[in-house]
Amino acid sequence: MGHTGAVWCVDADNSCRLWDCETGKQLALLKTNSAVRTCGFDFGGNIIMFSTDKQMGYQCFVSFFDLRDPSQIDNNEPYMKIPCNDSKITSAVWGPLGECIIAGHESGELNQYSAKSGEVLVNVKEHSRQINDIQLSRDMTMFVTASKDNTAKLFDSTTLERQKTFRTERPVNSAALSPNYDHVVLGGGQEAMDVTTTSTRIGKFEARFFHLAFEEEFGRVKGHFGPINSVAFHPDGKSYSSGGEDGYVRIHYFDPQYFEFEFEA
Amino acid sequence: MQDAENVAVPEAAEERAEPGQQQPAAEPPPDEGCCGPRGPALRRRQGQRPLVRRWRSRRPGRSRRARPRESGLGTSAPTAGAQAASEDAGGNEGSAAEAEPRALENGDADEPSFSDPEDFVDDVSEEELLGDVLKDRPQEADGIDSVIVVDNVPQVGPDRLEKLKNVIHKIFSKFGKITNDFYPEEDGKTKGYIFLEYASPAHAVDAVKNADGYKLDKQHTFRVNLFTDFDKYMTISDEWDIPEKQPFKDLGNLRYWLEEAECRDQYSVIFESGDRTSIFWNDVKDPVSIEERARWTETYVRWSPKGTYLATFHQRGIALWGGEKFKQIQRFSHQGVQLIDFSPCERYLVTFSPLMDTQDDPQAIIIWDILTGHKKRGFHCESSAHWPIFKWSHDGKFFARMTLDTLSIYETPSMGLLDKKSLKISGIKDFSWSPGGNIIAFWVPEDKDIPARVTLMQLPTRQEIRVRNLFNVVDCKLHWQKNGDYLCVKVDRTPKGTQGVVTNFEIFRMREKQVPVDVVEMKETIIAFAWEPNGSKFAVLHGEAPRISVSFYHVKNNGKIELIMWIVTREMFDKQQANTIFWSPQGQFVVLAGLRSMNGALAFVDTSDCTVMNIAEHYMASDVEWDPTGRYVVTSVSWWSHKVDNAYWLWTFQGRLLQKNNKDRFCQLLWRPRPPTLLSQEQIKQIKKDLKKYSKIFEQKDRLSQSKASKELVERRRTMMEDFRKYRKMAQELYMEQKNERLELRGGVDTDELDSNVDDWEEETIEFFVTEEIIPLGNQE
Repeated sequence: MGHTGAVWCVDADNSCRLWDCETGKQLALLKTNSAVRTCGFDFGGNIIMFSTDKQMGYQCFVSFFDLRDPSQIDNNEPYMKIPCNDSKITSAVWGPLGECIIAGHESGELNQYSAKSGEVLVNVKEHSRQINDIQLSRDMTMFVTASKDNTAKLFDSTTLERQKTFRTERPVNSAALSPNYDHVVLGGGQEAMDVTTTSTRIGKFEARFFHLAFEEEFGRVKGHFGPINSVAFHPDGKSYSSGGEDGYVRIHYFDPQYFEFEFEA
Repeated sequence: MQDAENVAVPEAAEERAEPGQQQPAAEPPPDEGCCGPRGPALRRRQGQRPLVRRWRSRRPGRSRRARPRESGLGTSAPTAGAQAASEDAGGNEGSAAEAEPRALENGDADEPSFSDPEDFVDDVSEEELLGDVLKDRPQEADGIDSVIVVDNVPQVGPDRLEKLKNVIHKIFSKFGKITNDFYPEEDGKTKGYIFLEYASPAHAVDAVKNADGYKLDKQHTFRVNLFTDFDKYMTISDEWDIPEKQPFKDLGNLRYWLEEAECRDQYSVIFESGDRTSIFWNDVKDPVSIEERARWTETYVRWSPKGTYLATFHQRGIALWGGEKFKQIQRFSHQGVQLIDFSPCERYLVTFSPLMDTQDDPQAIIIWDILTGHKKRGFHCESSAHWPIFKWSHDGKFFARMTLDTLSIYETPSMGLLDKKSLKISGIKDFSWSPGGNIIAFWVPEDKDIPARVTLMQLPTRQEIRVRNLFNVVDCKLHWQKNGDYLCVKVDRTPKGTQGVVTNFEIFRMREKQVPVDVVEMKETIIAFAWEPNGSKFAVLHGEAPRISVSFYHVKNNGKIELIMWIVTREMFDKQQANTIFWSPQGQFVVLAGLRSMNGALAFVDTSDCTVMNIAEHYMASDVEWDPTGRYVVTSVSWWSHKVDNAYWLWTFQGRLLQKNNKDRFCQLLWRPRPPTLLSQEQIKQIKKDLKKYSKIFEQKDRLSQSKASKELVERRRTMMEDFRKYRKMAQELYMEQKNERLELRGGVDTDELDSNVDDWEEETIEFFVTEEIIPLGNQE
């Protein structure tokens, strides 16, 4: 089984499933006690991790399975299970080279857990509220967090040192780094339950583009009429897409001006 | 609680106690000996004692020490009742015995006995039990409290004594019935002082309060004192102690902010839902923070009218801050203070608290001297609904308050009533001081056949300088122009034979002889009215939503009132509307705003040539604040009225947006006022004439600072880019170092670039038909 051959799928039906990308066949089904929040393959594609919610009396756990040992999947016995007592994990990705995972918590904390021992390697608290999303740069050397505290921040993957901050007036649900420009796109908006008026103006459901080095906004894309839940750049950096609470996925191709635009510096 | 009620109402208790007395055996005589030494006032309650005792004995588990107030009777229990309970509780062993048989008789046989054991010794004093109500115990009065001494009474012989007595009687019987008088005589003439006795001490107090200082004629001004104060005056030392000299406290230059080289203004900002307060310099680029403090105030802040002080509110009172470092300058202790008002001269502070007032010590409203920090006078206050209760004259010499049928004018610094008496104005509905002179305008509604009336009165002479009668009046509002040049009385009328209300604006031209009045009639509902400060125009918003119009009028020198501009706001705003008018403090320019429910539409109008300079929007804006110079306007969304997008935006007077300042849970922005200019009218004219000369200098300055700003920005970006490059270089070096490890992890396949193994690709082209929508990037608001 190659690393391009399978996908993980998480579901609110308290399960985690392993699929074959080419055939669409379900390879494994792992039952969990509570909803699965995040999941991912390590760089080598051999180890998978997923985290579960603190829910219905169950704790938040991160489980690690090594696919090279089929018995782990068959018996639903991860080789490691890290409990998170304090604040549940709301987003997580694998670090570079598959040595650790980087998890964002409900409290706004970031933890780097070793994938071997499970111990916390680095802990930082740069956000004041829940971290909704973590996305790595293409080379995995840095990552951007999206938080309910109205900001997105850029961190170094190894040291978890904060490099940059991007401020908005609304909770940020998702943030993605361009693969070939020093750009970051932020998506978010007023939480659905907090929107009291029918006006989309007040929700500010726009995708917003910031320059990575200057932390300055240089563009906005309107269109969604509900909060944006996730944003992603195309791997070639020539387009991006956003998924919204309104039920739409919007795919935008950049204008030529986007590629020519430069800050005066 | 039935029994408790009996305790609380002694009269009723006595009546209902009748059946209890049918058992005389239960009333052992030894009681008499026990409470014998007590005053006569206490003895009369003996009849009710059994009942009271029953109340106590029915309360299971309650010890003998139980205080009446703890049992829910509270402090409201009238004195006699409480005393009854106390005497009982602190009372006599003899009574304990009969409590039990009573309980049996009442069918409460299964209740345990709460009576004291035989050997109980009560060691609780009355003071301890109800010290709080003992002071109200009835006391013997010898009538001396009702006597007053009046000095400076004319000295007359027997021939005119009867006449004098008549006059005195007429003046002093106003306060109560005079039961006795005494006119000491010497050598056939009265001595010049007299004694009067009233039926009750309250009358005497009343007479002292009101008749002291009464001017009988030019030579005789009465001095009235209580006879009981005699001792007080006797003990006053004849020698005068020189008051100790207070060291001078140098507070620095309290007006330092006016000397700022760039002539910038300051403003205060409350944010984080009130937890933090900041003071900023207003600057075109970015606000410059001067001071920021956590929990500086508990509710909100106020600037004094000339900007010298910043007042902060606290549970225990008001604090004033000022000077360069915003040090505390003065404190005024007024528990639970809610509202304040400065006198226009900044000498006095008026504070209101609903907590402190008592009958004999008026403390609801307190007037303070700001310089000394001393309390000048306290007042009662029934309702603070129409704050300020006291309205100040423009120079701070007088302040006035309106009560039912009365207008009371006080003078400073004595804080006493002007000429010792209030004005009787039956039916007075509202009054207002002219901001340009000591003139009061007030109005009185129609009363049967007497028309409604607007009166202008000069002070302190109380001369009526203009009276205008009005008919079919529903309501009047008084609007003074800022300099006091004009008064507009907005009169809502229902003319005979018509339905609905029409509005007249009665314009009084104050600077002209006999104050001529002109009238502008409006058929539509009036939403807002505002005078141009320092000018002769006024703006009116009128009509019903969704068709609200704005009209501008100009009062010409010859008195003609000319409509100079009329616009339907929704046409101006493209479907939005306005509901408030904000004139620049310098006049000419005006901002029309649709606040709160009207979504924050803004129109910037120049009334000199009647042009709309700009139309803009600050969505959900709740406040508009002009800076004191009329150069800038701030619009804001306050957390107090709206919970999202709390921010304040800075605009030029022409409506060009300069800054958007988002502040977490922003509450309030207040500009620091400036004192009036020291320049004469001529000097101001000269400056206006030479404006071109000045504007050249300023333009050059602006250009310099702009290029400096853009240079700074570019410089900042450059360093940010350099730092970022440095970081990326480091990260990429590490990345390259790990290349082998990556290759190893992915079985020797290089995945570092998208096309690193392009040879393995198979390309397949599939065409879809999609609609394309072009959205230009970079179109920020």
